[in-house]
Amino acid sequence: MVIQTQQSGAVTVVKPSGPVAQADAQDLRNELLKAQKEHLGRIVLDVSDVPFLDSGGLEALVEVAEEMSRSGQWLKLCAVNQTVRQILELTGLACQFEHFEDANSAVRSFL
Amino acid sequence: MATASPAADKVKPALHMFERGESLVAFVGLSVAGVFLATMAGWLWWAFHTQCKLSKTTNAEQVRVIGHSLSRSVEALLSADEISTLRRVVAEAGVRPNLRSCRVLLPDGQVVADSEPSRITVTNLPQTWSGHSPAYTEAIDKESVLMRWPLEATGRGSACLEVSAASDAFQTGLSAQTGLGVIAIASLCALLGVYRFARYRLRGIGAVRQALLATAAGERSIEALTIAPQFGIEAEAWNRLLREREQLRRSEVLGEARQTMKSWHGANGALGAACDGLPQGLILVDRDRNVQYANGAASVFLQATSDQLVGADLGQFISDERILAPVGQAAAGPSYKRTIVELDQENSGHPGVLRFVIRPVRREDDGVAMVIIEDITQQRVAEEARNAFLARATHELRTPLTNIRLYVETALVEGEKSKQVRAKCLNVINEESRRLERMVSDILSVSEIEAGSFKVNRDDVHLETMLEQLRADYEPQAAQKHVKLTFNLPPKLPVIQGDRDKISLALHNLIGNALKYTLDDGQVTVNVNINDGLLAIDVADTGIGISEEDIPRLFEKFYRARDKRLAEIPGSGMGLAIAREVIRLHGGNIEVQSEVDKGSNFTLTLPVGAEAA
Repeated sequence: MVIQTQQSGAVTVVKPSGPVAQADAQDLRNELLKAQKEHLGRIVLDVSDVPFLDSGGLEALVEVAEEMSRSGQWLKLCAVNQTVRQILELTGLACQFEHFEDANSAVRSFL
Repeated sequence: MATASPAADKVKPALHMFERGESLVAFVGLSVAGVFLATMAGWLWWAFHTQCKLSKTTNAEQVRVIGHSLSRSVEALLSADEISTLRRVVAEAGVRPNLRSCRVLLPDGQVVADSEPSRITVTNLPQTWSGHSPAYTEAIDKESVLMRWPLEATGRGSACLEVSAASDAFQTGLSAQTGLGVIAIASLCALLGVYRFARYRLRGIGAVRQALLATAAGERSIEALTIAPQFGIEAEAWNRLLREREQLRRSEVLGEARQTMKSWHGANGALGAACDGLPQGLILVDRDRNVQYANGAASVFLQATSDQLVGADLGQFISDERILAPVGQAAAGPSYKRTIVELDQENSGHPGVLRFVIRPVRREDDGVAMVIIEDITQQRVAEEARNAFLARATHELRTPLTNIRLYVETALVEGEKSKQVRAKCLNVINEESRRLERMVSDILSVSEIEAGSFKVNRDDVHLETMLEQLRADYEPQAAQKHVKLTFNLPPKLPVIQGDRDKISLALHNLIGNALKYTLDDGQVTVNVNINDGLLAIDVADTGIGISEEDIPRLFEKFYRARDKRLAEIPGSGMGLAIAREVIRLHGGNIEVQSEVDKGSNFTLTLPVGAEAA
């Protein structure tokens, strides 16, 4: 898995490419927490290039979402594909995130 | 608050010493020494007196014994008329210690024999003499002992033996007691030395004892219980214990306060959870500027945990006086003023713009200031971009409008005289109007994208017709710049589903940019390919290129690369953003590869069965 980080205005868009599973989940978690701390929570997770998540990936996302929720922030997911959406809905975790169709919409939500 | 004077500072340690009982120790010590001295003096006097008396008695007894034994010998020698023997016996008796004189007297006072021969007044004794010798007498005073014995020389007459001795009782007593006195004084000095040393060493313990007594009596003030450092290591140890106890007490108080706060949070769990759910940071600060409450967002904005914040001075986390001063005023004063401060944290390691709203919260028991922190970084960025766009859009709109106005005026004035001039003017006006139309369309598209209402209307899109139209549109412009514009199209292009106008707009932007940023005598090539149901349109140029730093932001709205050469080339920074948005809405994408001074290659990909995402 490759993780790209891109600035869109004052917002950091974190874009992993590839399945979020096993050790990659921990890398994504660390990258998200680092970006959240450095940019005071102005982050968006673009999962357009993530074909699926395993339990470790789910755990990493939930952990970051809970960390952010403690400070009144939401982890914003954008471009969630059908597979990932189903995983989130089946596990009942979809409500832990804010969902956007694309990164631009997610970035605009900070306005 | 009153401050102590220097004199008071000097007196204070002395008072401390008094309070610790140091003078009492000294008083008791000196009293013991005085009693000891008086006892010693009395004992010495008594011993001296007794010694004198004993010495006097001893001297008298010695004289009495000597005289008594000597009188018998002298009496016999007088009777036998052994005058020379008599004088030798008397002289030998006179040399005894303590005897001052020893002599034999006749009743008329003539000296027959004397321990001092020069005092003899009778050389030869007569056979008989008259007169009576005095009776036995003793005269004892302070300085001497004098005794007289009557002598009876058989057949000759009476005489008298006089023995006197110096009374050395005083000297004897004095010499005897001097040693004792010296020993006593030396002992006293040693005692005083030991006392002073012990007092010096024990004064710290005495002070600690007094402090303990004060503690037992209820004293809790650390200042009152502190012992002056000059009392030694015991005082330092005691003071250190006091300080540690004070720190422990403060920690306990702080712990209790935190526990109380946690209990309060527990009791108000729903309220606390609600506050923690706020995206804005919320801090309550008391009149001492200590944080009473901070929600989760405040912890993130101030980069500290809630436990670190609560109870701590707000100044530890915010150093800007523009915030601290109104916080102090809001918590302490009767002000109802609301203060807003926007803080740019560009150099803090956590770049962003935070807005602090400070306002008082009036309570009956205490004053509290409320600080609301909001992250407005994205708003600030958007505002700056919007302002920049407005400036650029105004400039861009003004250029075609000015051209239109000038050519209309020219056509009105000179158009009637020359058909060629009129045609040229109308042509320019037409081009500028279309440019203006595209620009307004771009602005509208950006507005729709911003509002989320940017939609595509699906219809048949004849790619071949569209690309031929683009070629026809841009060939004159390419020819004018001497740029070679080449369209490499496959023999047959499919008809796709999509928004013809918007796809055309995206291609217009790509080809228009390629021509705009390619210098004279350059080349622009449009290659169209279809592979695996994916339409790929490459627009390659030999223009000025784009730096690596600018490429990631190239598709941001209103963003223009930082190349200085762009200052002379008009552009709003909207074209590529709109183009990619359009293509993404059709399920495709636009990617770019570029090298500065070499050229750029924009690749537009579209699914041939174009389904909007």
